[in-house]
Amino acid sequence: MFSIYKKELQSFFFTPFAYVLAALFMFLFTYMFNTGIGDMDSNVYEFSFAGIFYNVIFYFIFLVPIITMRTFSDERKFGTEVLLMTSPVNVIQIVLGKFLANITVFLFMIAGSSLYPIVTAIKGEVVVSQLICAYIGFFCWGAMYIAIGMLISSFTENSIIAAIVGEIVMFAFLFVDDFAQTGFIAQYPKLQSALYAFAAQPRFEYFSQGFIRLSDIVFFASAIIVALVWNYISIERRRWNKG
Amino acid sequence: MITIDKLTKFYGNNLAVNNISFTINDNEILGFLGPNGAGKSTTMNMISGFLPMSGGSVEICGTDISKDPVKAKSNIGYLPEIPPVYPDMRVREYLSFCAGLKRIPHGKRSDEIERVMELLSITDVQKKLIKNLSKGYKQRVGFAQALLGDPKFLILDEPTVGLDPNQVMEVRSIIKGLKKDHSVIFSSHILSEVSEVCDRVVIINKGVIKAIDTIENLEKSVGGSSILHIKIKGDRNKAASVIENTQGVSEISAIDAEGGEFFAFTVNTNSDADTVRSSIMSELLARNIQITEIFTEKPNLESVFAQLINKETEKKGLDALWDEVGGQPGPLELNSDDEPGEAGGKEDEE
Repeated sequence: MFSIYKKELQSFFFTPFAYVLAALFMFLFTYMFNTGIGDMDSNVYEFSFAGIFYNVIFYFIFLVPIITMRTFSDERKFGTEVLLMTSPVNVIQIVLGKFLANITVFLFMIAGSSLYPIVTAIKGEVVVSQLICAYIGFFCWGAMYIAIGMLISSFTENSIIAAIVGEIVMFAFLFVDDFAQTGFIAQYPKLQSALYAFAAQPRFEYFSQGFIRLSDIVFFASAIIVALVWNYISIERRRWNKG
Repeated sequence: MITIDKLTKFYGNNLAVNNISFTINDNEILGFLGPNGAGKSTTMNMISGFLPMSGGSVEICGTDISKDPVKAKSNIGYLPEIPPVYPDMRVREYLSFCAGLKRIPHGKRSDEIERVMELLSITDVQKKLIKNLSKGYKQRVGFAQALLGDPKFLILDEPTVGLDPNQVMEVRSIIKGLKKDHSVIFSSHILSEVSEVCDRVVIINKGVIKAIDTIENLEKSVGGSSILHIKIKGDRNKAASVIENTQGVSEISAIDAEGGEFFAFTVNTNSDADTVRSSIMSELLARNIQITEIFTEKPNLESVFAQLINKETEKKGLDALWDEVGGQPGPLELNSDDEPGEAGGKEDEE
């Protein structure tokens, strides 16, 4: 598992890939931070880092599929899945190794954003507990999206398709609660509550307010586990149906 | 030892490999022969544990690959048809990743990588990106990967495809050298390669095993028959009837027009080739037909292969052969009342 993890990291960090992603994320975060500072004088707006994270998420969904798009589709395209499958490792190790590598890139990507709270803390005041909760929530959300993105990547050998489909799915996950609130869906309360069950946004809201609720943690953890297990099944199933 | 028992693979409703069983002994090179689409790669993919089988079992050193895949796979080095290399990695980086995958202990990794790079003479490209390598080098990098960790069994799917003649010779000698302490399964459609390298041959067609034997036995099985190539100058009809009626000739399998009055006959014999040859020669000379060339082709794996694979192809009549040369010769019916003429007449009536 470790060698797969290492190889994946090499493919991110020995190429400009990870750095470009991190730069892009920093650009987004900086932009949000600056607009946040600019709006400070307004009476309605309350500046908080959690709020910035909230805004960043809307752009973030376009970055995650770029991390995950190559995960399995490139293995298929280059025929290297044969190498992985005929080596003395099992599929669970392959999936976990790749998941952890993607998580590491994700952490690297958001690491730069911690610069702003540090500078703010020196010059002013930061609610540390709220900030940490926001980071935890953001991390959980990102990890869930990575697991989903990897799953989509295992369906196709074209990484561009994996990225585009991933973006659509993540977009849907982001706005599923807004969708559930529309008048049309409200006519069917059962459907509405079913859609709410998939909504990540309200759960992140708790994190950003400084709450860590067990139910939210369980939500993200179970979403990750379902996506990874499905990932495993999708790879195994492809071996059975190949040809 | 690898034991393959009643291995079967369905692709949907398509039967790709049908109930095949054979064993690979220790220190043996087993050739795996068959035309395209015979099920060679599918079988190898199943033996290596990449494809699950629809039925049957593969046991590697007594470990069933579907029951304990990790243990079974640790004894195998596999080179698939397309070398499984990452284009964006450097050769050494790639091999070190593979060494990790194969769980070679950290201390031994770099020595092991040096060893396989040396063996396949890719040491000088170790710092190159794999995508910049030529097909032959990629193939060798893939081969190096299979050799990492010195696995007991090597499964090589057409390892010499895409290599230049020198490299082919090198790879063949490497495979021969591996025999000392490995077993090799080695698929190919190049027959000379198989007969040069392998101890035993499995011939497979349409998912069914046609023969498993040593090369000598297979060649013997073709029996006393061999092929005569005769080039003549003169009346081809006369020559054809003379050759056909000589004792020991089973059929004329091909006639080629060589331009002018020259014709080349390919003749299958069913008894000792030397006797047949001399009697054909004397018969032809007696009829004033010049022989410009005559030689005997020894039975080889090629003919065994052709016989086993093409059992269904029927004997061609002389008529068909004349058609191939360029139509039924006019004077044939005037000159002789031989079989060819009669057969042609019958067809005309229909």
